[in-house]
Amino acid sequence: MEGIANYLDSLIGGIDLTFYSIVVGGLIWGLLVLRPWQDGTHYNNTLLNNTVNLIHFGSKALTITQITQIGLKIWLMVATLGKSPFPAFFNTVQFQAGLLRASLAFVLAVFIRQFLKSNTRSKLYWQISTLIILPLVISGGWLVHGASRLEDREFLMTLTVTHQIAAAIWVGGIFQLLSIWRLKKHNSIAIELWPLLLKRFSLLGIAAVLILLATGTPLAWYNIASFKGLVGAGYGNLLMVKVIMMCLALGFAYLNRQAVNSYFENRSLYVLTTRVPYYIEVETLILLTILFTAASLASQPPAVDIPHLTASFEEVLNMFAPRMPRWESPTHEALIAGEAGRVAIVGQIPSEAATAWSDYNHNIAGIFLTTMSFFAMLSYFPRFSWAKYWPIGFMALGIFLFFRSDAESWPLGPLGFWESTFNNGEILQHRIATFLVFGLGLLEVRARINGHNQALPYAFPILAAFGGMMLLAHSHVGFEPKSAFLIQVGHTMMGVFSLILACGRWLELKLDSPGKNVAGFISVFALFQIGVILMFYREPLY
Amino acid sequence: MSYLKFIFFILFLLASFSTHSHAVVTHNSLKLKPVPLNLASQVELSFNSKVELDLSEVFLVRSGDKMEVITATPGTKPGQVILSLPALPEGEYAIKLKIFAADGHLSEDLLRFFVRKTGQ
Repeated sequence: MEGIANYLDSLIGGIDLTFYSIVVGGLIWGLLVLRPWQDGTHYNNTLLNNTVNLIHFGSKALTITQITQIGLKIWLMVATLGKSPFPAFFNTVQFQAGLLRASLAFVLAVFIRQFLKSNTRSKLYWQISTLIILPLVISGGWLVHGASRLEDREFLMTLTVTHQIAAAIWVGGIFQLLSIWRLKKHNSIAIELWPLLLKRFSLLGIAAVLILLATGTPLAWYNIASFKGLVGAGYGNLLMVKVIMMCLALGFAYLNRQAVNSYFENRSLYVLTTRVPYYIEVETLILLTILFTAASLASQPPAVDIPHLTASFEEVLNMFAPRMPRWESPTHEALIAGEAGRVAIVGQIPSEAATAWSDYNHNIAGIFLTTMSFFAMLSYFPRFSWAKYWPIGFMALGIFLFFRSDAESWPLGPLGFWESTFNNGEILQHRIATFLVFGLGLLEVRARINGHNQALPYAFPILAAFGGMMLLAHSHVGFEPKSAFLIQVGHTMMGVFSLILACGRWLELKLDSPGKNVAGFISVFALFQIGVILMFYREPLY
Repeated sequence: MSYLKFIFFILFLLASFSTHSHAVVTHNSLKLKPVPLNLASQVELSFNSKVELDLSEVFLVRSGDKMEVITATPGTKPGQVILSLPALPEGEYAIKLKIFAADGHLSEDLLRFFVRKTGQ
């Protein structure tokens, strides 16, 4: 069960940051944006209860997540080390700070339930709630990357905690906006509150972005310190992904701010109600991906520590160089014959068959996707309306991947299905990705056949976004960090394009013209780009 | 939309992230001081972060990937770890590390080395 323990342990960081943002960002939202104790506000109890309920939910979820995180750590150690980690684990900072954080989140949940929920307009109770999270936020400093550093520990911990607060303000505020939009849609709040709160949050959002930049830049400089570290190591690569995604999120934030400014000039609610909520939905998706990427980044060794394992710019560029796709696969026998040497620790022999097998898988998958993107483009012309069933290709790709992804395991190889799935994190990720790809095709084809189903079409962008998250995280765990990074760099680029594909499709479904056409084109273009990257993919031999 | 929420929830749980190591060996004495033939010796490792040795394990890997646990003790400098190797005959070996960093990341690392007659 080591694979699944490792998998869950790496996943929990992103979940933790999400709930942390709902709590911390939600309280700051209450204090600085909502300010419900002020006279002259048009807040009804529904709005205030909704706001407090979201923060209360976040604090309960954070308590559970934090305790789960400790539990998973213990499970991982038992699975990896093959022995009990007690009593040594009780003496670790991880255990003590984690338990303190869980306790404080629990205290907050109890306080909100007992006092804030019944006094939502009390400034004092909002302030006490914020005071409770202060030690919670500070205790988080002992759970971050910087806590284990040998030098400049306090400086790094402070910067990271401040960075987390800024991110929480942004993400927590966005969650509150989504919640308010839901109330507005059901006419549960005064109509003028939507633009008013958007405007107030816009200023806080700008402040959060400035703090993110002010804290993120020195952190990045400290951990990377060179151009080679930025482009040639996993840490730098994921940081660039974070920057790209942040630019995307900022783009939507900018559109929202423009719409708000425009409303206060001409008082037309049209853009604020037909576009802005959907921009916010997409922004939420991007921000969640950033949080998970941030959690992933924390488990990467800083580039500055591994200059001897860093790839050059030319090596990275070579991974994307155009070349003929591999049409022929080595035989399964040749692949299996090379496996023992490939996975050996002592006397390792690189397997050309394994590399060729992997290249073939990636290149054929690329041909699948570029062909599908071609049909997707055709489907926009009325003459080729049959081409709208292009997502069938995803189902075919899922079947192809099921047989080819992990040839050492069932159905082609000697390893059993369950044994291989749960004992190897990489195989587990491949299995999930295969299931996602097949499900993506199945649901989207069903949505296109049954055009009246209002909800089903949204499954595609949601699945595509999470497929993208998995690609961003695609792990080739091994002891060859440079080769693993060169594999990772292609996958992270595809992850970014998957997110763009998902956001584009989501907006295509939600927006009116001409926005929906632009979004649809961007979505299909992103699919094409993923196909091209896969077609030219060459796995480094090791 | 309820089943969409369900899908969203399931996928949220499935979104996995990479598990590359965080604690890495930044310097080791194997490059400067080769392991002597048929003599017990020590290897010095320097990590980029604090490590919890009580929750870590170090193995010597021999030909055929046979593993045996070896003793790891803290060095005099922060992040430094001293490994005690038994007397080793000529051949290829590896040191496999399962290290619990102070920030909670359990990571694995591998150092390959040769034991040769002096002058080889």
